[in-house]
Amino acid sequence: MPIYAPTLPPAPDLHQGHPPALVLMRFDFTRLWRQKIGRFFGFAFLMMLLWKVARIYVDHLLQTNQAFRPMQDFAKTVLTQGADFQADLLNPASYLLWFLVALVGGGLVARDTLYRVRPLMYAHPVAPKDYLLAKLGFASALPFTILLPFALLPWLMSLLLAGTSGPVWVTVPLRLLPAMAVSSVLMGSLAVGASSMAATPRAGIGWVLGLVLGTGTLATMIHGLTGIRAIDGLNPVMLAEAWPQLFVGVEHPMVAWLPAVLGTAFHIGIWTFVAARRTRPSEVVI
Amino acid sequence: MITLDRASLRYGPILGLSPTTFQLPEGGGITGLLGPNGAGKSSLLQLLSGLLPPSGGGVKVFGEAPFRNPSVLARLGLVPEGDRLPSGLSADRWLRMMGELSGLSGEGLKAAMARALGIVGMADRAHLTFSRMSKGMRQRIRLAQALLHEPELLILDEPFSGLDPEARLTLMALLRDLAEKGTRILVSSHILGEIAQLTDRILLLFRGRLLAEGSVTEIRQLLDRHPVELRLTGEAQALARWAVEQPELAALRMEDGAVVISVRSPRDLLPRLQKAAAEGGIPLRALDPLDLNLDAVFQYLTKDHA
Repeated sequence: MPIYAPTLPPAPDLHQGHPPALVLMRFDFTRLWRQKIGRFFGFAFLMMLLWKVARIYVDHLLQTNQAFRPMQDFAKTVLTQGADFQADLLNPASYLLWFLVALVGGGLVARDTLYRVRPLMYAHPVAPKDYLLAKLGFASALPFTILLPFALLPWLMSLLLAGTSGPVWVTVPLRLLPAMAVSSVLMGSLAVGASSMAATPRAGIGWVLGLVLGTGTLATMIHGLTGIRAIDGLNPVMLAEAWPQLFVGVEHPMVAWLPAVLGTAFHIGIWTFVAARRTRPSEVVI
Repeated sequence: MITLDRASLRYGPILGLSPTTFQLPEGGGITGLLGPNGAGKSSLLQLLSGLLPPSGGGVKVFGEAPFRNPSVLARLGLVPEGDRLPSGLSADRWLRMMGELSGLSGEGLKAAMARALGIVGMADRAHLTFSRMSKGMRQRIRLAQALLHEPELLILDEPFSGLDPEARLTLMALLRDLAEKGTRILVSSHILGEIAQLTDRILLLFRGRLLAEGSVTEIRQLLDRHPVELRLTGEAQALARWAVEQPELAALRMEDGAVVISVRSPRDLLPRLQKAAAEGGIPLRALDPLDLNLDAVFQYLTKDHA
């Protein structure tokens, strides 16, 4: 016979916290923050950033100091100029960034699969779309956050040193930030889709690298065989590098506008679809 | 509290749970969900915890369909099977996230964590990482996460799996305590002894079908095809002479110093047996029911439906 309690304590006050997607994103950020992985990448990205900022200063010296005037012509031939220079503020970090996204993003969903966390989450007031949003949000916010100082610091430095006539265009943030957003979402969706197909975080890293390098190699091979440049729109590495070039108006971007739009939409669409399918409640096993 | 109306669950062509109908009333208490591996226990729990919609029929928990229903999910706690938890993570960080997913925050979350950890006896060890915890400790933390938001219904899937006897007894005591305080607990297991130690109320599943529900005694009485076996210890010849005169007798077997009788309706026979023994009519020293336990009920039911 069931035993009924004579009185029950007041129920806790629920529905007071943050939205589930935000809670999950914050949890992943905290986990990353505590990992030693950040030290290596932090150092590497910092070095790159210092090089960018130093380049602005060198450029300023060449323009203003009479002693460096004889080197101006040489510098113009060696160092990128104009729109290429603006787009180049982001590009050198591309491969390292892809590697970081693979290393961190590869485990995002796979870790929850390994530890069977999703049944627990879905037994809370967490919808599958909250979960997916959190993972995509985190995987996209990570490269965006890393790229942010690359776009803003050289711009700020240029403004401080030379005002509106500096080497970095005044309008660069308006051009680079949307490009970064598109590239970051591309990286994030690919990482989450690949991670959702893996059973362990290590396998997830392998899936991300395999997909990035595999589709890239495939696109390059087809381009080589057919001579159709638009096929490069399937190469995620080239796409991520092409977006800043397109937004700043480089004369010969790696991928033209239409293939870039189609290729990016294809990658984001297919990998988000895969991730959504693989994180459905019916895919979880109690 | 829980109503299943011909609810079934299919995994593609495989039938995980045949159309099943039962009700669990409001209020506290423990109900055991019993069945061998592959009986459909986890399928039933997936339906109840809102992870999957039924393929047919209806499931209602607290009067509403639980699938993707936050108002239902906020009132139930789930402890899934297995003890894998992120090894490098500390229990308190894990609990904080789970509490936030339940809608708790700030001081309310802190109080809920302290309360849940206190209930499971882990208040002073929550800072440890999961890799430094024993299996029993991890299971307690899993239980704590399900208790954070003080659910009215607690669902546990094979919670005793892999636990040592001491940890098993501790967990059982915890569950009994929670049930006494008003939580309705549904616990699944394929081990009879665990359920028998924990509760008398069972749901018995076999090959995706609900075979029986109720107390062990109630279910045993319904098994007409299997007369109840009683061992009467005493002077065997005299006891056998008395037994063969009883209309309920189905079979009789002599043992050394005892007689084992099979009777169809023990409720009718037992008062007469008691009276005869009290009046000295039969030399009875001891009476032992042999197959009124859960083990026997389970064997009879599964044999009949195999």
